[in-house]
Amino acid sequence: MTYERLNSLLITMVVTVAFIWLAIPFTMAVLWSLVDPAEPWTADKLLPPVMSFYRWVDMWENSSLRYALISSYTLAPSAALLGLCLALPTAFALGRFDFPGREFAKLLCLLPLVVPPFITAIFFSALLFQLGLNTWRFGAIVFAHSILFLPYAIRILTVSFETVRQDHIDAARDLGASAWARFRVAYLPALKPGISATLLIVFIQSIEEFAIAFIIGSPDIVTIPTLLYSALGQDFVRPNAAVLSLILVVPNVFLMLILERLMRSANPTLSSGKG
Amino acid sequence: MTLRDWVPIFALLVPGLGLILVLIGSVVYVAVAQSFGYYALLGQSAFSLEFWSDVFDRKLFSRAVRYSIYVGFWSAVLSVALAYPLAIWLRKPFPGSIGLGALLKAPLLVHGLVAAFLYINVISYNGLLNQFMQGIGIWSEPRRLQNDPNAFGVLLLQVWKNMPFALLLLTGAVQSISDDILDASRDLGAGPWARFCKIIAPLSISGMQAAMVIIFIGALADFTFQTTVGPTNRQSMAQLMVSFKSRGDWHSAAVVGVSLMTIALLGSALLAFTSRVIMRGGLR
Repeated sequence: MTYERLNSLLITMVVTVAFIWLAIPFTMAVLWSLVDPAEPWTADKLLPPVMSFYRWVDMWENSSLRYALISSYTLAPSAALLGLCLALPTAFALGRFDFPGREFAKLLCLLPLVVPPFITAIFFSALLFQLGLNTWRFGAIVFAHSILFLPYAIRILTVSFETVRQDHIDAARDLGASAWARFRVAYLPALKPGISATLLIVFIQSIEEFAIAFIIGSPDIVTIPTLLYSALGQDFVRPNAAVLSLILVVPNVFLMLILERLMRSANPTLSSGKG
Repeated sequence: MTLRDWVPIFALLVPGLGLILVLIGSVVYVAVAQSFGYYALLGQSAFSLEFWSDVFDRKLFSRAVRYSIYVGFWSAVLSVALAYPLAIWLRKPFPGSIGLGALLKAPLLVHGLVAAFLYINVISYNGLLNQFMQGIGIWSEPRRLQNDPNAFGVLLLQVWKNMPFALLLLTGAVQSISDDILDASRDLGAGPWARFCKIIAPLSISGMQAAMVIIFIGALADFTFQTTVGPTNRQSMAQLMVSFKSRGDWHSAAVVGVSLMTIALLGSALLAFTSRVIMRGGLR
């Protein structure tokens, strides 16, 4: 068999597996979310006999979905903004100063990724109990999320700070620019993609985070993942779980695609000006 | 560097790295202290080894440890074993290879809970798999596949979710190997297997170790897959920890938590070391 034929055979195989792996389950989820309760979707029918948006409307009107959406979509931007503010100074130090132990400091920034999330969640809640802050749920989740996802924020912003060109800063200074003006003309253009990428990645991670929201938030705060978790457990209703799954997945896929574009454009700032 | 140089750097590091160290440090500290009887929320706080000996005596605990290690180990090994050939295949671009890479990495965008739901949907009693197997006549009646006792469902989901991650790391590692080295070895008569053992494996080892360790820690500490599709007669360590905590038994939860962290640390070191030995020495 020639190399080309082998390759096309492999491509066909992988595409087939990926189809079974992805397309079929998602199609099923979409169909299940459209099942009308008027007539159940039984095993002998290929498609649901009656399809409607009844489940979507019903979930919207009669479940905690609305609260979950509101809390998820307020938690995430708050965590993203706080994370950005906390990450900027550290990223500035790591990206613009050369000091002994810098590589070690970069490594230490990854710590939140190594500790299993449920350990962080449980013993952070123990800490909140000790401090008497256990009723401060919303703030606690925002705080925990922004710190847990700092590794991503610091990593991305450090790279952005590294791409700021020293000759731009020097030129601005020589022309008499103030500190703010220097920041605006020399730093900001190079930092912009990194800042958007940071906001977006913390936002996505926070929307998807389960352990902290589950342990610290329950029972007062419901987010989309904790709602989906209970829909998969004690009150499993397949069409409702399908609706929630799609609400969790679809927006994030689009955000991730935007993120990937941003990350790709994060480097070309290097080429602004001379090569 | 003088003290005057250090002060601004230190001040800049405080809000980011400083907070990370404070949060993670205090989380680990509270876990260790609670496992030895301190920071009791009810009753008195005093040093005690009682919680360690109590938890270690329980069959529930040793089963959870064995089970979590089983899930962690096989998830890491299977994900990396599947991702390696794919990464090597996609090393050199060919028409459609970018699309294929994106297709293979798509599960990275799907939340674990959603993956669990999709899986339950496919294997449920009246699900697609049962229908298919009956349709082609292999099974005469539908089978109960949910919450299978060997945790194949959990392993399948772990691989589904983690193989793309391993692929991401390995593609990076494999693509950084220059063509010159591979061409040279080919000129010297090395076959595909020899090229893999002597060039690709040693040069991509750090990417592979990183993938192994991160997947191992994640799967070892799994809670969501275990509670949604895992066997009902066994608990994972994270699940056991959460169940102790929800009964208000913080000290036992802390013992499980500290053991989980220790196993994560030792296990990753062992995995990283063993894979290095196998890739560098054993195959030579």
